[in-house]
Amino acid sequence: MTTTIIWTIAIITILGVVLAVVLYLVAKKFKVEEDPRIDEVEKVMPGANCGGCGFAGCRAFAQSCVEAMNLDNNFCPVGGNDTMKKVAAVLGLEVKEKAPMVAVVRCSGTCANRPKTNEYDGYQSCKVKAALYSGDTGCFYGCLGCGDCVAACQFGALSMDPETGLPVVDEEKCTACGACARACPKRIIELRNKGPKNRRVFVSCVNMEKGAVARKACKSACIGCGKCEKACPFGAVKVEHNVAYIDFEKCKLCRKCVVECPTGAIHDVNFPSPAVKPALKPAASEPVAAPAAKPVAQPAAPAAPEVKVSAAETGKKVEPEKKSEE
Amino acid sequence: MKTFSIGGVHPDDKKISAGSRIESLPIPETVYISMAQHLGGPAKAIVAPGDRVRTGQVIGEPTGFISAYVHSSVTGTVKSVGLRKDLAGIPVVHVEIKTEPVDEWADGIDTSDTLVTDIPQDRQFIIDRIKNNGVVGLGGATFPTHVKLCPPPDKKAECLILNGAECEPYLTSDYRIMLEKTRQIVVGAALMKKVLGVSRAVIGIEENKPEAIKAMSAAVSELQKSSADYSGIEVQTLKKKYPQGGEKQLIDAVMHRQVKSMGLPIDVGAVVQNVATSLAVYEAVQKNMPLISNTLTVTGDCLPAERQKNYLFRIGYPLSWIAEYNGGVPEGAVKIISGGPMMGKAVSNFDAATLKGSSSILYMTAEQTERKLESSCIRCGKCAEACPMGLEPFLLNKLARNGMMEELEANAVQDCIECGCCLYSCPAYIPLLDIIRVAKGEVIRAMRARTAPKK
Amino acid sequence: MNRILVSPSPHIHAKTSTSVLMRDVVIALLPSVIVSILYYGAAAIGLLAASVVSCILVEYLITRFMFKAPSTIGDWSSSVTGVLLFLNLPPSCPWWVAVIGAIFAIGVVKMTFGGLGQNLFNPAIAARVFLLVSFPTFMTTWAAPKGFIGGVDAVSGATPLGIVKEGLAQGMTLPEIYAQHDFSYLQTLFINIGGSAGEISAIAILAGFIYLLARKVIRPYITLSILATVFVFSGIFWLVNPDQYTDPLFNLLTGGVLLGSVFMATDYVTSPMSDKGGIIYGIGIGLLTILIRYFGSYPEGMSFAILIMNSVVPLINKFCKQKKYGR
Repeated sequence: MTTTIIWTIAIITILGVVLAVVLYLVAKKFKVEEDPRIDEVEKVMPGANCGGCGFAGCRAFAQSCVEAMNLDNNFCPVGGNDTMKKVAAVLGLEVKEKAPMVAVVRCSGTCANRPKTNEYDGYQSCKVKAALYSGDTGCFYGCLGCGDCVAACQFGALSMDPETGLPVVDEEKCTACGACARACPKRIIELRNKGPKNRRVFVSCVNMEKGAVARKACKSACIGCGKCEKACPFGAVKVEHNVAYIDFEKCKLCRKCVVECPTGAIHDVNFPSPAVKPALKPAASEPVAAPAAKPVAQPAAPAAPEVKVSAAETGKKVEPEKKSEE
Repeated sequence: MKTFSIGGVHPDDKKISAGSRIESLPIPETVYISMAQHLGGPAKAIVAPGDRVRTGQVIGEPTGFISAYVHSSVTGTVKSVGLRKDLAGIPVVHVEIKTEPVDEWADGIDTSDTLVTDIPQDRQFIIDRIKNNGVVGLGGATFPTHVKLCPPPDKKAECLILNGAECEPYLTSDYRIMLEKTRQIVVGAALMKKVLGVSRAVIGIEENKPEAIKAMSAAVSELQKSSADYSGIEVQTLKKKYPQGGEKQLIDAVMHRQVKSMGLPIDVGAVVQNVATSLAVYEAVQKNMPLISNTLTVTGDCLPAERQKNYLFRIGYPLSWIAEYNGGVPEGAVKIISGGPMMGKAVSNFDAATLKGSSSILYMTAEQTERKLESSCIRCGKCAEACPMGLEPFLLNKLARNGMMEELEANAVQDCIECGCCLYSCPAYIPLLDIIRVAKGEVIRAMRARTAPKK
Repeated sequence: MNRILVSPSPHIHAKTSTSVLMRDVVIALLPSVIVSILYYGAAAIGLLAASVVSCILVEYLITRFMFKAPSTIGDWSSSVTGVLLFLNLPPSCPWWVAVIGAIFAIGVVKMTFGGLGQNLFNPAIAARVFLLVSFPTFMTTWAAPKGFIGGVDAVSGATPLGIVKEGLAQGMTLPEIYAQHDFSYLQTLFINIGGSAGEISAIAILAGFIYLLARKVIRPYITLSILATVFVFSGIFWLVNPDQYTDPLFNLLTGGVLLGSVFMATDYVTSPMSDKGGIIYGIGIGLLTILIRYFGSYPEGMSFAILIMNSVVPLINKFCKQKKYGR
């Protein structure tokens, strides 16, 4: 009995030692020489492996930083400037600060603004739907509402608003990795400067059709009238192919364009009070409900009555979005 | 009886409108002629608002190698040239023409009914006529016919296959022209045979159309007596199985050869043309008649029997106008399809204009077209059994949903012909084709990007 | 007409669905169920009810309260498992054994993998093996109560396979065993005394097989390759030594070979997709069954063989692909 036990212990011990030696030799033989700094850089990365930087994952990003030995082409949108400073410190390099970005949904075609013209009955994916036809509304350019962007977001920053049928970005959670922008077949989602105090002004429409056609499909479409372009003192607004675009590098957030827009296609977010025409005092306009965030797109009171209706609707519809962002 | 060797399904035939003779439609007040009526680059409109055009006059010129001429289908005044939505709601350049009730034909067009059976011996003459008259494949893909008939010099055509299978349920337009324009189709086949320089032409017809087989066989033997140009043409009866009319399946059925992945039929010596294309070739060559009209079936289970029609339409008629002429959209229709129920496109914009390749207005009821809720895959393998390309749709679906591009390519997603057999036969109602179609597009784009010369 | 419907092609669908297919399997199982009820009487009805109801209930509870999803009992797959589980039990075993089997089949084998279509093993077969290992007494004693037709009052004893195994172990030769137990083939064809509820009648199982083929629910390759392999492989052994190894016909008609090859090996989820793969899978099951019967310690090998081959299916699927067009 005892001999059996002793033998068993002996054999297993010897086996263990032999295998350990084999493992050691194999590990030695197949060891891949890697720059130790790659590991160090990887340690300071967020580790989300989202691919927002354009590389396959955080390690690939770290490798490219080490190989290039400059950070001009590498930027981690998730970690932002903090992470990049750490990376620079590890490698002893300089890094330029980048303004923080956020994903912006450039479509205001809510169920109310943009009536459905047909019923989609296929697989619920924007990619499939876009490949098939123009979508279930009159607008060929607008949001398809199947939520490919929501599925693409790894950070839970996007959700579909069942009331508007449009995706909503949670500014707190958004890391500006750009996965949603890549997933959107209509190229509606754009990464834009987060702006001072998160205040931004942008054209919430990408419809390139002529004014009348665009307006027929959607009440809040950009009709390419060019009023915003004329109103902008900084030359930040350009109207091309019947649609306005605000260059966020040039925009000084004066909101003259917001006031001018006849359809409420230009949205301003996170401003303490609604935009008004300079002639009127802010206090004289509508009462300010929430101090921090306010509904988007409040054109001036003296605008055409028809427009007023749609603007009021726009404001109401977008309200839930604001709440979720607070 | 011959048929293709892999997969296939047997949907219900439903050739309800088979007994209805082809009727000519009157001319509506306004027609909208699309510049994208063919595969390849859209034509460039060469008319301006205010121009008066005659029937058969060129209004669009080809842009690029794979492109085709577009002709005015009516006499009238151009009202506008601009974007208009096609049946999928996508903006495409259309020429809007205010019509005149009486046709004034462009010069050189023979509008008589006389059958011309003499085959021109000049090959280039035939090709030029086909090209100048804007003939495109009418089997679905609308590939310019003159391009298909001029294979690259290193490839040799051996056999011309005329596709009279019409394997899609409901559609009867090919069947009707085979009955009513029988000899014209055979002459068209002889013309294409001459161009290709092949000795053999096979007209493949499915067994569910015995009258067409009889009529075509009789016309072939009658014409063979008249001239040696018609020798080598034969009618082949095929077993009824979908997708018999698929180019690759038809080649397999008739010649027992299989086209390599990403290859063309000409690689195995085959050229496939639809019978309707053959008719268009006859008209273009023998009559110098541009391709401005085609046959279209108006059908559906919810359409009353007396309204099941086969119409001769001209390009540019709005679909909704044809439906109105037919008596309006029937009660119970929830979906309108242009084409057959297996591969046709659902119409989202019913005001869209007819194209050269339009083949039907098919009304479907909610019950017929219902897509039940997707449930779990039970791995029954029915999709793989049905796939005529021998693919594994269940696997491709999973790979596509996980974005695994290399594996998709290794499992030949690029070979998918989008026939719909997989989704048709899936007991779990998984939207296989919806997902695979998009994945196929992405994989093919990736493959092209890889092989394209690097700049 | 309201808003028109738009969807990608195809716009029509074959008149089939998961529930129709599963219902067809239940219908195909009915002849065997009826025969066993006729033969074993009220006890069989109770066992059937216990098995089917608990399978459906377990699936319902798990989908509703653990997955928090709509229940999937409407697809009939849990009913199929319930009926199959009943057919795999000796009719004399207590009802709570069936309930435990159902909990194991649905709760462990099927639902832990994610439900229908995800499970690696056939739930009914896995439950049979689980019960065989856990309750050997109930699973191998065949004390059949008196049924509605014929039957012997309180017959008890082993299956033909069990008798043979025991006899051989005692050093008897086959002819001696047959002579002692008054065995006839005709009997096995119609009424097979002793065994699981579903193994009584070969004719009833074949009727179900023909129904499944006619309705195009299954393809015949898996079943036929199992039967052919069993026949040929046991035939070779039998020719070498007829005293020691049972003959091919005996092997086909006794035990669970027919029931397993028609209903359990052909389960969509746990069998290979392609016909070629199905044939390999069938050969594997046939070989393993005979090896276990001849050389294993259990008299019956079908359930083990199916379970083992179930685990190889992903590999078979990977290597046995159907021929692609033009490749």
